[in-house]
Amino acid sequence: MMDLTQPQWVKHVVFHPFEGFEDLRWKKGGTLKYTAVIIAALFIALIAFDRWCGFQFRPLPDAMFSVVPYIMRSVIYFLAWVLGNWAVCTLLDGEGTMKNIAIYSSYALIPYIVQMFTQVVLSHVLVRAEGVFFDTVYYIGIIWTALLLFNAIKAVHQYTFTKTVAAIVLTLCAMLIILFLAVLFLSLFQKVYVFFYSLYTEILYRVRV
Amino acid sequence: MRNYVKTNARRRLMQSAAAVLSLLCTASVLMLPASADEPYDVYNYNYLGEAVPSQAGYLAERSVSGLDLGTTAFNAPGDLFKDEKDQFYLVDSGNNRILRINSEFDEILQIYDTFTMPDGSQTKLKNPKGVFISPDTGLMYIADNENARALVCEQDGSVVMEITKPESAVYDQQLTFLPQKILCDNAGNIYIVLNNTTKGAAMFGADGSFIGYYGANAVAATATVIANHFWNAIASEEEKRYRSRSTPTAFDNFDIDTVKGFIYTSTSSGSTDTDIVKKVNPEGYNLFSYMSNYTWGDLFSTWYSGTSYKTKIVDIDIGDDGSINCLDATTGRVFQYDKEADLLFIMGTTGDQVGAFTQGNVAAVETKGAGCENIYVLDAGKGTVTVFGQTVFGSIVHDATKLYNGGYYEEALEPWLEVLKRDGNYRRAYLGISSAYYNMGRYKDSMEYAKKADASGRYNRAFERYRSQWLRQHLTQLLIGIVLIIAGIYILKFYLRRQQKKALDTAKAPEHQTEGGTAS
Repeated sequence: MMDLTQPQWVKHVVFHPFEGFEDLRWKKGGTLKYTAVIIAALFIALIAFDRWCGFQFRPLPDAMFSVVPYIMRSVIYFLAWVLGNWAVCTLLDGEGTMKNIAIYSSYALIPYIVQMFTQVVLSHVLVRAEGVFFDTVYYIGIIWTALLLFNAIKAVHQYTFTKTVAAIVLTLCAMLIILFLAVLFLSLFQKVYVFFYSLYTEILYRVRV
Repeated sequence: MRNYVKTNARRRLMQSAAAVLSLLCTASVLMLPASADEPYDVYNYNYLGEAVPSQAGYLAERSVSGLDLGTTAFNAPGDLFKDEKDQFYLVDSGNNRILRINSEFDEILQIYDTFTMPDGSQTKLKNPKGVFISPDTGLMYIADNENARALVCEQDGSVVMEITKPESAVYDQQLTFLPQKILCDNAGNIYIVLNNTTKGAAMFGADGSFIGYYGANAVAATATVIANHFWNAIASEEEKRYRSRSTPTAFDNFDIDTVKGFIYTSTSSGSTDTDIVKKVNPEGYNLFSYMSNYTWGDLFSTWYSGTSYKTKIVDIDIGDDGSINCLDATTGRVFQYDKEADLLFIMGTTGDQVGAFTQGNVAAVETKGAGCENIYVLDAGKGTVTVFGQTVFGSIVHDATKLYNGGYYEEALEPWLEVLKRDGNYRRAYLGISSAYYNMGRYKDSMEYAKKADASGRYNRAFERYRSQWLRQHLTQLLIGIVLIIAGIYILKFYLRRQQKKALDTAKAPEHQTEGGTAS
């Protein structure tokens, strides 16, 4: 029963929001390779949404493109989510390993990514007055992903409903703390770097003179 | 950020230096009658608010001093006015006189320094600040500042009426009455800008009776003002008296569009960004109120040695074609807008050359000609009037703008294309061409130019039409295509199922055969 290949697992999980992740856990399906692919797809989807939409829907002028925010919104947020969730749920008797949290969470993101690409395709044939189609696609994608993500966390840690809600709220707080610390460390290290660099130039200057 | 934009603009200037240089050379050879290069980099703003190199719409031709006109040097001249007959009136404040100068601005026609009062006595001006000539009656209105009066007189210098401090309950009697600028509307009402009230210009009837105040600026909605409003709502009468009141900044110059009857005011105060330029109708309502926080002049103020150099609009002039010309005292620049307040050209700078002005000391700007062919800037510091002449580029832009603003989009196509040939950075040309093609039904081209102008709203409009056009032309193909695709999917499915079934059958068959022990 349920001897699915990896692509079949993806399909099964996405189209069975309530049972899928339990099955995945029971059969130890899912692989980190797919997580990498999905996060890469998310990164591309975010860029595509801002850059490849039909011109009538393009929110940003070409001159203002920077890749850093897109890396932030895909890779960094995802890593912070996984780390935060693992940190919180280890304390809350969660059964999920870091690897499983990453796999399950990434699988849950698929509808969100698909809705973004759908919007990009639609934007080439629709005009602004028909924006309601975008909203529809957007809400379907976001609700679907929310549902999947919730059940992913619930399944991976074998939590009850209320405990999952609490875990997600705490995870969001943990993410904030992680990101805050990351920014803090970044600026600190920058200062240290600048200090050593000026020391280096100073010494070089003395040596030369 | 501000510095970044500044340096960015400069770098861009450097990068496109070769292109601009060659363009400028061609421009100066082709367009100029006789003039040197302007002593500043000509720029305009793109839709992101970045300064980009641009073609010059006006070039400084000459600068005229009092000595050039055959009289003594001007002493801190305060105002310059052009009447309906294209004659100029220059208020030479420090010499207490007004000069009437001919249309070519090279000959003095008359010098007014003494006026005859109605009772026959002679009177002299004392530091006059402003002058206005009524287009209907030809009467001369003079803001005689230090005599605390305004004079209305005939062209020959005989005074018809003298307006002094009104004895009205509306006018606070503790205030002085020192007229700065003056004008009159088509109905003969007289408006006087005073420097001691924030209530607007003092308004007098044609008979000289005080009517009230006109066209005050709005109070900028800063956090302090909103907080004040809140506290005042709950404060008692006693407390209210000791609370600070929110007052608007006063406008200090104005001009009237004599054709339409709108009065345009300008505010030079550096402490506000609200209502810098207003377009006030006879009722006193500001028609530019929807853009009361529009940034007039330079979009970014420069910081240098702890001082902020912010645009300070000291005079405004409405050209005969409706263009709005603003004079910035800080940078010595004239900002020319069309009647929809879209920036057309920027010219002038601070310095000593022709086309450069004393910083903070320019007094007035005037325009002449049906297409604003000349711009005159009065420099109070140098005591000169600088004459700017329109380039070919400038006149094409004016033609195109006039047609475009009048709704003649298709007629404006040719001039706009010509503008683009001369300056590919001129964004309004892309918008104009996009509109023209849209009206001509060339939606694909309209989309292309809207995209170049980064105007996604226009692109959307053109795309909608283009889409329905496309659908109408390709409906049959589209329907056949859809039917074919659906049929293809069904056939493929059917085929795959049969393959699968066959595979199952052949998979099962050998089992039976091996059981049977026979192999084919």
